Amino acid sequence: MNRFHRFATILCVIWLSGCISHPQTPEEFRKAVPTAFSAKVETFEVDRPFSQVANTFQKMGPNCLSKTIKTTSQTKTSYQVIVTTYKPTVLVTPKKAELHVQFHHDQGVIGVGKEPEGGYYLLVADASPVSQSKTRIDLYRPSMGHGVLIQAVRNWAAGENVGCPDLTK
Amino acid sequence: MKHRRTWICLTCLWTAAFLVGCSGLKTYENTPDNNLHVRTAADSGSWFSSVRAAVDIHRVTVDCKTEYEGTVQLNRPRIDVGIPSNRWSRLVFVFDSYSFWANRSGSMNYETLLKPRPGYQYEVKVTYKDDMYNVVVRETHPSSSVSREIEHKDLRACPLKSIEGSRVSSNSSPVDSLLSDT
Repeated sequence: MNRFHRFATILCVIWLSGCISHPQTPEEFRKAVPTAFSAKVETFEVDRPFSQVANTFQKMGPNCLSKTIKTTSQTKTSYQVIVTTYKPTVLVTPKKAELHVQFHHDQGVIGVGKEPEGGYYLLVADASPVSQSKTRIDLYRPSMGHGVLIQAVRNWAAGENVGCPDLTK
Repeated sequence: MKHRRTWICLTCLWTAAFLVGCSGLKTYENTPDNNLHVRTAADSGSWFSSVRAAVDIHRVTVDCKTEYEGTVQLNRPRIDVGIPSNRWSRLVFVFDSYSFWANRSGSMNYETLLKPRPGYQYEVKVTYKDDMYNVVVRETHPSSSVSREIEHKDLRACPLKSIEGSRVSSNSSPVDSLLSDT
């Protein structure tokens, strides 16, 4: 590596770390998702009282998502081990229930940009009462990948097929 | 030629024994009363992937330390296991998945604490379908068919004195029990 290459590499690192800014709070995440390339907002209503939805989030979030996952991929020329820790947070008030899912790569992936405490935000689900028997869900979620996690959160909201997602998928 | 075959067989057996020993897994030794009845339905849902379920059983000490006691492979639809009564055990249900297409493997754990009562029977329903898994433990009274779901507890609930009183939801489904908390 000559001087030019070193200089270019340093410039790229500085440029990337300055250019890629990750949301540092759930509120920043909500604001960033509508304009993000790889994320979207999904809104729907479920026929369940708000208290039940909030209760399911409180129950299933920590049980299913507070995990450290190790995946191993192997090809003829490479062997990759990725260790990821997921952190769920559930906040409930009389008018709103929030589920935040963060992740942090412990091994196998290099992070670019400042990582919030607890890890990068992956998904935020907001539940709010519409009527006695209906609840509105605003799901701020990735538009590519993590389909199993997204489906699990939808199921928790609807109270159907309540289970834990296989986060290795 | 015959000696060569014998030599190859012995080498294979030795290698297999070495690998089993090195994996750190040991077969769980049941207690005489088979009080835990595990029903397993695990399906990866694809020709190009597989999923295997097992349960690791740990003893939980009073100071919340765990001691690994062995593993039961959940490779049959129903398996009976004997867990010591009047003592906390940590059951770690492990789902190992493998994708042949991507040559990718991963492992998911679901753990819960259980303190079986003498004479009671425990039904565990373990399911893995459409990349979702679920573990439900129910306790049945020895002299009746009434059962209740055992609330999920993990080591974060330690010290164990704080989790002695578990919630009761008779004859309720997992979803019902979730809803009953409201």
